[in-house]
Amino acid sequence: MTIAGLRNFARRPLLSLGLLLGLAGTAAAQGTLAGKVTDQANGAALVGARVVVVGSSAMTTTNAEGRYRLVGVPAGTHQVRASQIGYASVAKRVTLADQSSATADFGLVLTPYSLDEVVVTATGDQAKREIGNAVSTIEVADLVNTTPVANMNDLLVAKAPGVQVLPGNMTGAGARVRIRGNSSLTLSNNPIYVVDGIRVVSDVNSSSIGIGGTSPSRVDDLNPEDIESIDIVRGPSASTLYGTDAANGVIVIKTKKGKAGRPVWNAFMEGGFIKDLNTYPFSYRGWTTGSAASNTTQCFLSGLVARTCSQDSLTKFRIFTDPQASPNATGYRQQYGLQVSGGTDAIRYYVAGDWEDEVGQVKMPEVFQQRILATRNIGSVPYTQLRPNALRKTNIRANLSVNLGEKADVQVNSGFVTSTQRLPQTDNNITGLLGNALGGPGFKGNIVGGVANLGYRQFTPNETFANLTTQDINRTISSGTFNYRPTHWLAVRAVGGLDFVSREDSELCRRDECVNFSTIKLGFRGNNRTTFFNYTGDLNATASYRLGADVGAKTIVGGQYVKEKFARNGAFGEDLTPGGTTVNSGAILDADESTIVTATLGYFAEQSISYKDRLYLTAAVRSDKNSAFGKQFARVYYPKASVSYVLSDEAFFPKSDVLSSFRLRGAYGASGRQPGPNDAIPFLLSGVSNVDGTDAPGLFIGALGNATLKPERTAEVELGFDATLFQSKVNLEFTYYKKTSRDALLSRTVPPDAGTAATQLVNAGRTQNEGIEASVNARILDSKNFGWEITASASYNKGKILTLGDLPPNRGTTVSDIPGYPINAWFLRPYTYQDKNGDGLIGYWKPTVTGGISTPDPRNEIFVGDTSVYVGPSLPPGEFTAYNTFDLFGRKIRIQALVDAKVGGYQLFGTERIRCQNRLNCRGDLDPNAPLAEQAAAVALRQVPGFTQYGYVHNTNFVRLRELSVTYTFPDRFARAFAANRLSLTASGRNLAVLSKYPGMDPEGGYFGTNVGVVSDFQSVPPPSYFTFRLNVAF
Amino acid sequence: MTTFREGPRMIALPQRPRFTRRTLGTMTIGSMLALSACESSLLEVHDPDIILTATSAAAAISIKNGVLGYFSGATAGGESTFFFGGLLTDEWRSGDTFEQRNSADARLVAPTNSFLGGQLRALMRVRVQGRAAINALRQFSPTPVSNIGLMFALTAWAENQIGESYCNGIPFSDVNDGVIVYGAPVGVDSAFKRAINSADSALLNNGGTDAPRIANLAAVVKGRALLNRAQYAAAATAVTAVPTSFIYQDTHSDNASNNQIWALNTSAKRYVVADNEGGNGLPFKSANDPRLPTAGTGNAFDANTPFVNTTLWAKNDPVTIVSGIEARLIEAEAALKADNFPLFVSKLNDARATKASLTPLTDPGTPTTRADLLFRERAFWMFGTGHRLGDLRRLIRQYGRAPETVFPTGPWFKGGSYGGDVNLPASFEELNNPNVPQDQIKVSCIDRNA
Repeated sequence: MTIAGLRNFARRPLLSLGLLLGLAGTAAAQGTLAGKVTDQANGAALVGARVVVVGSSAMTTTNAEGRYRLVGVPAGTHQVRASQIGYASVAKRVTLADQSSATADFGLVLTPYSLDEVVVTATGDQAKREIGNAVSTIEVADLVNTTPVANMNDLLVAKAPGVQVLPGNMTGAGARVRIRGNSSLTLSNNPIYVVDGIRVVSDVNSSSIGIGGTSPSRVDDLNPEDIESIDIVRGPSASTLYGTDAANGVIVIKTKKGKAGRPVWNAFMEGGFIKDLNTYPFSYRGWTTGSAASNTTQCFLSGLVARTCSQDSLTKFRIFTDPQASPNATGYRQQYGLQVSGGTDAIRYYVAGDWEDEVGQVKMPEVFQQRILATRNIGSVPYTQLRPNALRKTNIRANLSVNLGEKADVQVNSGFVTSTQRLPQTDNNITGLLGNALGGPGFKGNIVGGVANLGYRQFTPNETFANLTTQDINRTISSGTFNYRPTHWLAVRAVGGLDFVSREDSELCRRDECVNFSTIKLGFRGNNRTTFFNYTGDLNATASYRLGADVGAKTIVGGQYVKEKFARNGAFGEDLTPGGTTVNSGAILDADESTIVTATLGYFAEQSISYKDRLYLTAAVRSDKNSAFGKQFARVYYPKASVSYVLSDEAFFPKSDVLSSFRLRGAYGASGRQPGPNDAIPFLLSGVSNVDGTDAPGLFIGALGNATLKPERTAEVELGFDATLFQSKVNLEFTYYKKTSRDALLSRTVPPDAGTAATQLVNAGRTQNEGIEASVNARILDSKNFGWEITASASYNKGKILTLGDLPPNRGTTVSDIPGYPINAWFLRPYTYQDKNGDGLIGYWKPTVTGGISTPDPRNEIFVGDTSVYVGPSLPPGEFTAYNTFDLFGRKIRIQALVDAKVGGYQLFGTERIRCQNRLNCRGDLDPNAPLAEQAAAVALRQVPGFTQYGYVHNTNFVRLRELSVTYTFPDRFARAFAANRLSLTASGRNLAVLSKYPGMDPEGGYFGTNVGVVSDFQSVPPPSYFTFRLNVAF
Repeated sequence: MTTFREGPRMIALPQRPRFTRRTLGTMTIGSMLALSACESSLLEVHDPDIILTATSAAAAISIKNGVLGYFSGATAGGESTFFFGGLLTDEWRSGDTFEQRNSADARLVAPTNSFLGGQLRALMRVRVQGRAAINALRQFSPTPVSNIGLMFALTAWAENQIGESYCNGIPFSDVNDGVIVYGAPVGVDSAFKRAINSADSALLNNGGTDAPRIANLAAVVKGRALLNRAQYAAAATAVTAVPTSFIYQDTHSDNASNNQIWALNTSAKRYVVADNEGGNGLPFKSANDPRLPTAGTGNAFDANTPFVNTTLWAKNDPVTIVSGIEARLIEAEAALKADNFPLFVSKLNDARATKASLTPLTDPGTPTTRADLLFRERAFWMFGTGHRLGDLRRLIRQYGRAPETVFPTGPWFKGGSYGGDVNLPASFEELNNPNVPQDQIKVSCIDRNA
């Protein structure tokens, strides 16, 4: 087919699909194929094994007895393959006569790693060997039973090379996920999520009411307990057919399905506690003449240098180790769930429900509780204020699979989650917990407004925790998949579904309960109700046929429609009636409304050719139209091509006991990211102006628009190999990739003197990410009584901006976008220092200016550079993980440990920055024995013009013991005593230890921005440690 | 027995077809053609948040109202040059933790100060959107003409305020049909000239019941701009007809915007009324002047700076931006410059006569003390309303004072020393104007002179 022909084909894919279906009404002579799939070692039936007729659409799975049956198989000789996770696949040649039956039984041998594992792709299930990309699969079902997985963060972190997860730092906080780095300067760098074939809402920072930075993520609405597996599609070379928005990768989630057989019940109970084991910094105070508990008079090191004051004494205090003042206590977590699955060959089901309750470690200290009781004249502190960080969630799921005869089946999946959570005020928040706990003076007896603050800077927990911020979620993700196989060579798949989220964000400060700042004490109530609708419709048809004895072919055409709608109504009332808790109890009311809608309609066609079931060539194209594209930009085309070559299947490939299999793979593909829905349009916004004392409607600038706006386009080349070694006991994967984004959308700053919108989106930049990913899975010991398996991975990504077009570098105070460097790289003005006079203090002496000529002071000991220099990337480029699994004592005890390390990243320790700059309580400001480096950082920050924060940007390299768990499987007889088939108990811990030179509380502490995701370690609660126990019962 | 044939050629008729080829094909092709046909409707989305056209009389009035909203944002309805000019001078001290405010207070404002861009943009929006409003009003709602005059007058005010606040070198770009026409950096005198021209346009485009008010507004703004150009007599002439009781105010409400002087000073305590700041500052607190009542106990937002607020304004109180008092002060200065000292004192006392608790002044007798008196009177009459920075610059430019004798100087109260800034620099965002040299330190500033 010529290029023009391809384009023509792509323009009329629906017509092509119609032709295929039109031809589908035909059939050749047919027969029936049946048999049984068993474990060769013990003859046990394998349930759910996959049996396919190679080169056709004929496929089925085995029933509860391990049996399968395929009807309508064309007469002739076929290659039939049976595969099951954990087993090596087996292929047989079977000859089938017209109107006859043939039997083919398969005995599969356990093998750790196989290229016949099935992964979920945009067009359906496909064996790994056919795909030219590296796809990471997380088998979730076992993980949740035996490791400390409380949410999606825990599930994804350190599980796949190139997938970097920054976990949330408190109960209910969302995670940042980056796959192969950041490539967009202004749009989201978050991957998209697909659950059972439909796009789902996966917004990070998903709340309309902030607490200062930390926010929930809609990804955490997904329930790990209901997930069978997660396939991670890492880049555009693999995600092309997912269309616009898939450039950052795709997290493809498959929920659990029922298997034919008697009902299998699984119950679990989990309980545990949460502790904050982090080390917090001291606050300091330099006492001098005039210092008192009720004032802030003190003598700084700058005063000692200038000899304008002397320190009588230096005190230090740390709230978090003071039993009376510390807001850290013990949190707890509990979860209970019940699942049942089973069914017949015709109907299979999976039904599950669970309830989860987690309360974070933050707690109002007793002394502040007493203040509340005294001032409010109540008997007990409201629990929501006593424990301001909590999450409670209920999940229900029902999945049904129905065979509609021999040629069709349908799956209906539906999950519902309802949750409520509350987060404490913290982060970048004047009334926040850590801003006050770490910003206080270096002694406990400070008096603020005549009240003892116990070392808190300004506001105490009885006031800050009275500000209740909650989020209630009711969400259902429902999808249906209809598979129709009218003939042996044609399969049609239709997927449709809806993800509906109802989100209610609320905040409440009752009158006279919160902090005395601005008008907060008068009370306020905010209530914002948001609905998200994500509709997905997907239709594709696959024609499988043979072009010769050794050549198979597959043609897929299809279309996809995705519509996302966000609609919000917000209401706010302030100056509340005493006792009032609703918006309308406010004397001053405010309301708002917001709607965002985007729609994407895409068509795609894919052509695959296989040679001898070992060489697979694929070419595809997807074409999208999107409601957000500019008027002058009609349609985008994303091509892809890939090759997968199982070299070890060739006769010439040397057979050895060392190398069991070897595959080369390579892929090229493109995908994109769409602009915001209104980014292309010039528009006005309505607002209110007060005209001579009367409110009147006004029109204001909305946006300049850009008629030529088009999606960012990211193209990626990926090359790699997979090898299994030592009788498939070792699996090795290596991947190199290089992806380049062009037409990168830049939020061009409109110069203020233009007097119009502040920014305008333009397609101007190019960015690049290049890296390697490697993983090794090895079953080092595999005996009846002992087992040791290690999964290690390494990834390194080097990202940089290639160009910003004709736009100048985007320079900020701390992070900048400059060609040649990573997106949002740290750029700061550096300094040098020297203790010239040897007094142990770093002093700044400003130059004298006479007649416009500046003369340096010879006493000066610190020198700040004139221009910013590159310090490092904000996203760690390297990650190394090691997952060890030990099975002991007849495999009754399993120990699992996950260690991971991230290297090369940098972060601003913003908490210390503000302590030194404004709280004036850091060691570098006050302690004459502080290391010179700490002093210099503070002097450069506070005293030297330029006020550089250079001294507070640090390397975040770390090694963390992320997970450790011990699972004991009780003897069968013991389980049977409880009418169970299997009984196991897991004790586990998360975030148990970290090695790092980063001076903050935790190198992963902080909140992050929505799109690029730079972390702000700014008065954030650092991540705590979890210790949980879980009992799993199967019966 | 049927032989399995490879490739597409093996397709044969089904033995027991559930659907015929024709039926299935027709259904599928039909549905797909239908899908293709409704492609545009599938992709059509409607966002009720935005307004795409404004082509009616009511819309023109709303655009005008929008300019008043921008004007509020550039004055007392936003953190404007009223605040940063006050920080740079002796009006306000930073009681805040934000580096942006602290460095302004310490007279060390770098172009990277992230508050600068918004403040300049707010002023420029009054000018640029004012022009859009004038066009809309002329096309869809030409009467009363005073609406057009008001837009010119506010444009004049914004242009003058830019000249008083910023360094030499601020460009003036325009937007025509959604396309930006970039301006080149110009000196502050160009800004004052623009203001005078715009004020003249306001006086020419005037009519209707509001005309006298707009004429007074334009006259005082013109006088102020002329003063900045050292055209004292012309300035006095411009404001002669303005009654002392005249006021033009920025007004506030909960729905539109609160009075930000109240919000940032009295409520949030981020700004503190200064008192003899940096040695040269006026005793805004300790003078106990009835024109500037103050209060405040405890510490400001930063928990370190003793808090002082002015009780001049409550949450939604209007703020006088232009007044007849200013007209009298302009006349007084013209008299001073003309060495007519009795008239100088007389004009000052005309203003003071409007406030019962103020006693009449007498001639202090020397050029220096007369100038000190004039600028002190201006400072107390017009505290917090964006005049002080321009006045201190004029003391340097027109009265020969050294910068370190008029601006706060010496040790800065939070550590370190005051810098040497006498104006606000251009924001680094101006580097996006192609006519601005790519100089990170200077940006568009030709110089930082007064």
